[in-house]
Amino acid sequence: MSAVGGRDAGRKGADRPPIVVYEGVVKRFGAFTALDGVSAQVNRGEVVCLIGPSGSGKSTLLRCTNALEAIDSGRVVFDGAPLPRRESEARHVRRRMGMVFQNFELFPHMTALENVAVGRSTVLSEADGTAKVRARALLAKVGLADKADNYPSTLSGGQQQRVAIARALAMDPEVMLFDEPTSALDPETIGEVLGVMKQLADEGMTMVVVTHEMTFARRVGNWVIVFDHGRIVEQGPPAQVFDAPREVRTREFLSHLGWGGDSG
Amino acid sequence: MDIDFSPVLDNWRFLGFGLMMTIVLSVASMAAASVVGASIGIARSYGPRPLTIPLAFYVDTMRAIPVLVVLVWTFFAFPIATGITLPPFWAALVALSAHIAAYIAEIVRAGIASVRPGQARAALALGMSRAQVVRKIILPQAIVRMLPAYGSILSITIKDTAIATVIAVPELMRQSETVAAQSFRPMEVFTTTMLVFFLLLFPVTRGVDAIYRRVAHLGRS
Amino acid sequence: MKLDWSVPWQYRWMLADGVLVTVMLAVLTMAIAIPGGIAVMLLRQSGSRVLRAVGAAFVEFFRNLPLILLVYWSFYVLPIIVDIQLSPFATGLVALCLNVSAYNAETFRAGVNSIRAGQRNAGLALGMSRWQVMRKVILPQSTRRILPVLASTWVSLFKDTSLVSVIAVGDLAHNALQIRSQTFRVLEMLTVMAAIYWCLGYPQAKLVDWIHRRYGVSE
Repeated sequence: MSAVGGRDAGRKGADRPPIVVYEGVVKRFGAFTALDGVSAQVNRGEVVCLIGPSGSGKSTLLRCTNALEAIDSGRVVFDGAPLPRRESEARHVRRRMGMVFQNFELFPHMTALENVAVGRSTVLSEADGTAKVRARALLAKVGLADKADNYPSTLSGGQQQRVAIARALAMDPEVMLFDEPTSALDPETIGEVLGVMKQLADEGMTMVVVTHEMTFARRVGNWVIVFDHGRIVEQGPPAQVFDAPREVRTREFLSHLGWGGDSG
Repeated sequence: MDIDFSPVLDNWRFLGFGLMMTIVLSVASMAAASVVGASIGIARSYGPRPLTIPLAFYVDTMRAIPVLVVLVWTFFAFPIATGITLPPFWAALVALSAHIAAYIAEIVRAGIASVRPGQARAALALGMSRAQVVRKIILPQAIVRMLPAYGSILSITIKDTAIATVIAVPELMRQSETVAAQSFRPMEVFTTTMLVFFLLLFPVTRGVDAIYRRVAHLGRS
Repeated sequence: MKLDWSVPWQYRWMLADGVLVTVMLAVLTMAIAIPGGIAVMLLRQSGSRVLRAVGAAFVEFFRNLPLILLVYWSFYVLPIIVDIQLSPFATGLVALCLNVSAYNAETFRAGVNSIRAGQRNAGLALGMSRWQVMRKVILPQSTRRILPVLASTWVSLFKDTSLVSVIAVGDLAHNALQIRSQTFRVLEMLTVMAAIYWCLGYPQAKLVDWIHRRYGVSE
């Protein structure tokens, strides 16, 4: 296997201990092996993009990162400590990570403001008023201050996903996990979501992004990991992976998407 | 064919009392069945297997037996088996509640199951506990989704109270039979009763539909 | 308390007779109420406003009425109005058919409406008649929606047949209640009646669950 992250001196955040480390992670669903010995790491302040064909294990790895899925062997280390197996302890780790879903998963019975505030009020037991002040500021940050009292059903896909990002940010996460955040969006609203994500990256947020948006991975990502059949095919800085892929399967995957190379 | 509605008019108090009993029995049965049914539905969704198996048996048994049979058994056989005699109204309340609770348990369970798993994932990802996820995220949506089915159960309950006539509960059906038999005017009496039941049930069905249309978006994840 | 379980056994043929009548009532009702439901549905979709109103009134009226009241009404009032004396069995059948046809009409309507308008247009664009579109394009697709609901209606119907016992149709409930009042073995007879209904109804309820899982469409 080619370059393992941490040894890359030039990699962003290499000077500090990594925030997430995957060590030989295996995840099976019945007879199907979704992750077949995945080792990688995420440095602080880095934007790591996971790319690869559908069903190649990217989203599964993301769900193993915050213990939404239990792994069958190997370990996932978060901030120096392996993820706990017990549900009650996993909760304490999850609140330190934010997650954004492909289908937004906003809570339909709450307004945009309540969606953003609910994490702080229920999980951190913060007073409703305080949580809402914070929520309002975050809605403003994603450009939706005027939609605070709207129910999700009255928002466009792009707006819903921005609310979902604000909801995740409300917990002051140390890392943000994005699971194909633009796959369910109309083309014209993809840009507004990617814009918010770019802004977060510029502010130094650590992000793990499962995406099919190659332009985003190329321009915003600091590190790209290519998946196929539950294994990492190749990883490296975007310039290397996109412009000079070492592996045949990476080239096949990229050309399949019509990626003709973009040396930017 | 001569038509004479005077027996209906002469006995309006007697029939009105029946209507009141129908409403009281419906509301009481629905309330009791909702509490019992919701408990069973939630227990079947989240409870341990030793609990869910007998509950499933109870629900399926109630779904398999006619409400008439439950009613006569509760009124006539239950006192012999246990030594506890129930007056007709209470026997009807117990039997109807036991029967309808099974249906409510089913819609509660289906409502819970219909909420996308992603909703629970999103709430867990925020760090909520399982109990918080159920209480704050799943149940509120499930309740909205249950509303149309719950409305049908309400109208079924009102209709089923009429069967309590077989154990002589003085509800509208029973009172109508009495008036019809005494006056020999079944056509006028039963036709009036039909209209009264229709006027009672039609707004219930329509009302629940209207409420659901207004809140449906709250359950649409 | 002394129980005597020989009584139900002694009257087993009368109970079997009741089961037969119950099954026949349910089968005949469904056999009539399926075409009946389709007919009422077609009324509701017809071009004439009057016919549509008649169809809607039929559905709303018979769905919003206690079946036991409809049974009494058919027994006492119907003969006065139409001047025909029907047997209790036929009277019960009429009441059940009116009730189930109304439910079926609504089931068919919901099933047919669940098919996108584009499908209908595509059929019409091929030059099919409205009836051909219904038969060849819409109905086959809506079967998945209709079948599970129809199955649930069947189970309800099977249990509802017990209500015709109040007008002395010799169904299972009526026969069991008769034996009870002849022998005074109340607990035994009522328990046996419940057990027989359970044996008949439980597999049906399970079958319906299976049909819902197999064909049910989740939103």
